[in-house]
Parts: sequence; structure tokens; C-alpha cells
Amino acid sequence: MAQQRALPQSKETLLQSYNKRLKDDVKSIMDNFTEIIKTAKIEDETQVSRATQGEQDNYEMHVRAANIVRAGESLMKLVSDLKQFLILNDFPSVNEAIDQRNQQLRALQEECDRKLIALRDEVSIDLYELEEEYYSSSSSLCEANDLPLCEAYWRLDPDTDSADCLSAPLLASPEPSAGGPLQAAAPAHSHTGGPGPTEHT
Amino acid sequence: MMATYSLANERLRALEDIEREIGAILQNAGNVILELSKEKTNERLLDRQAAAFTASVQHVEAELSAQIRYLTQVATGQPHEGSSYSSRKDCQMALKRVDYARLKLSEVARTCEQMLEN
Repeated sequence: MAQQRALPQSKETLLQSYNKRLKDDVKSIMDNFTEIIKTAKIEDETQVSRATQGEQDNYEMHVRAANIVRAGESLMKLVSDLKQFLILNDFPSVNEAIDQRNQQLRALQEECDRKLIALRDEVSIDLYELEEEYYSSSSSLCEANDLPLCEAYWRLDPDTDSADCLSAPLLASPEPSAGGPLQAAAPAHSHTGGPGPTEHT
Repeated sequence: MMATYSLANERLRALEDIEREIGAILQNAGNVILELSKEKTNERLLDRQAAAFTASVQHVEAELSAQIRYLTQVATGQPHEGSSYSSRKDCQMALKRVDYARLKLSEVARTCEQMLEN
């Protein structure tokens, strides 16, 4: 038998009260039941008339039956209190429940992240092609500094002075004339390289 | 939620069984008295139900005593301070990431459709 730990007074008193309730209720059920059985025995000699004795027995049985039911209800209440106490104070099972919950949540999180990474890998391939298509089409209106993904990949050194670096994506501007408007459209940002407008003519 | 934790709540399940058994005790007691009230009592049925009643009462008492003994050994005065909040939060953020990715993908799909229409 394990050593009794020093429980706080309230908890110890509570557990002792549970024991007492259990003993009292079981005793009440057994005693009342046996008394009913005893009362059911018909005796030949009675102190009062049979009718009176019968009425008295009837009433006594009713009361004892009610006692049995009351004791049964009290036992149910005891079980409910024990359940509550168990949930709050049974640390081993609470710890186990918390660990299980953590495992489930962590597994769900890892699955979400794994699927997102797979999705990212798939989508980046498609996105690459989409951007190539988009920036090479005539309908895109982009600024000179707005590089597509493919362009960003190609450009190794953003500060090169070569005008050739201003390749196709920047030709999207429909301005036919040289100079001013295009110079405004292609501002001298560092990553566009040299003067752009000359390419448009 | 409780139904998902199979191992942690064996004791709670045992207590639920005890509750059902208490109901059975009262049912048995009622049946015995009902049988006794008849003109012609079926003695075998009577004995069987009386024996079942006594056995159930003793079983319930033993089980509840064992549970109370276990609680005396296991209970401390302290409140339990563990929680699953951190992993729940991480999982919530993962689900938000998935929702966000879905939102962005739907935007891309809408843009593609617009481009195709135009």
C-alpha cells in the first residue's frame, strides 16, 4: 500500500466524506431492502387488526422504498462528484490527455506545413511560366523597375551599366517617340542599368 | 472531445459503468419486491434477482472504494497548470497559413481568367 501523502486538510476531509457517503448509502440500501422483505412476511398473530397491520406495513414499505431510491440518488451524486474530482485532480490522466492533444495538434500542423511546401514548389514552377507569358505580352503595363520573376533570376548584377540589360520586358511601353516620355517612364533607378529609352527607338 | 481520449479516461468510463450498475441495483430491488407481491412467486427468479442485487451492491461498493483510494494516493492540493495552448496556437497559425495560401491562389486564378477573357 502506498504511503499516504500529506494532503491539504480540505482535500483529505473531502475524500473522507466521500467514503462516509458511500458506506452510509450502501448500508441504507441493504438495510431498507432487508426490512421490506421481512415486513412482507405475513404473521398470524398481530397486536392490532389485520387491516391496520396491513396499512401500517404498506406505509412502512413505501417509506423504505423511498429510502432505497434516495440512497440510490445519493450514490449517483457521489459518482458525479468523484468524476469531477478525478478530472481536476488525477494528474497522471490529465498529463496524458494534454500530451495526446499536443501530439494531435502538432501532427496536424506538420501536415499543413508539409502540404504548403509541396504546394509552393508546384506553384513556383507555374508562376515562373505565367510571369514570362505576362510580361512578354502586349497587355502588360509595367514600370521599368517592376521586374518579373524570370528577369530577376536572369539578372545577376543589378548595378551593371550595360544597356543590354534592359531587355524585352521593358519594351512593353507603347510610346513610339524617343526621349522625354520614355525617359520619364524609365527613371534612372539603379537596377535598370543605363539609359533605357535608346532601346525603344 | 472526451471520446477521443481513449486511454486517459478509463477511470471515467469505469465510473459511468458504476452509474449504470446503480440503476440496475434499483431495478433488481424493484423486481424482487414485485415478484414477492404476486400470488404465486417464481422462487428461482426471486433467488436469482436477489443474488444479482446483493452482488451488484457489493461490486459497486468495492469499485467506488477503489476509486476513492486511488484518488487519495494521486491527488495533491495543487491545481494542474499544464495546458495545450501553445500547440493549439501553432496549429491555428498553420491553418491560417493554409487559408491565406488558398486566398492568394484564388486571386491568381481570377487574374488568369480575366487575362484569358481579355
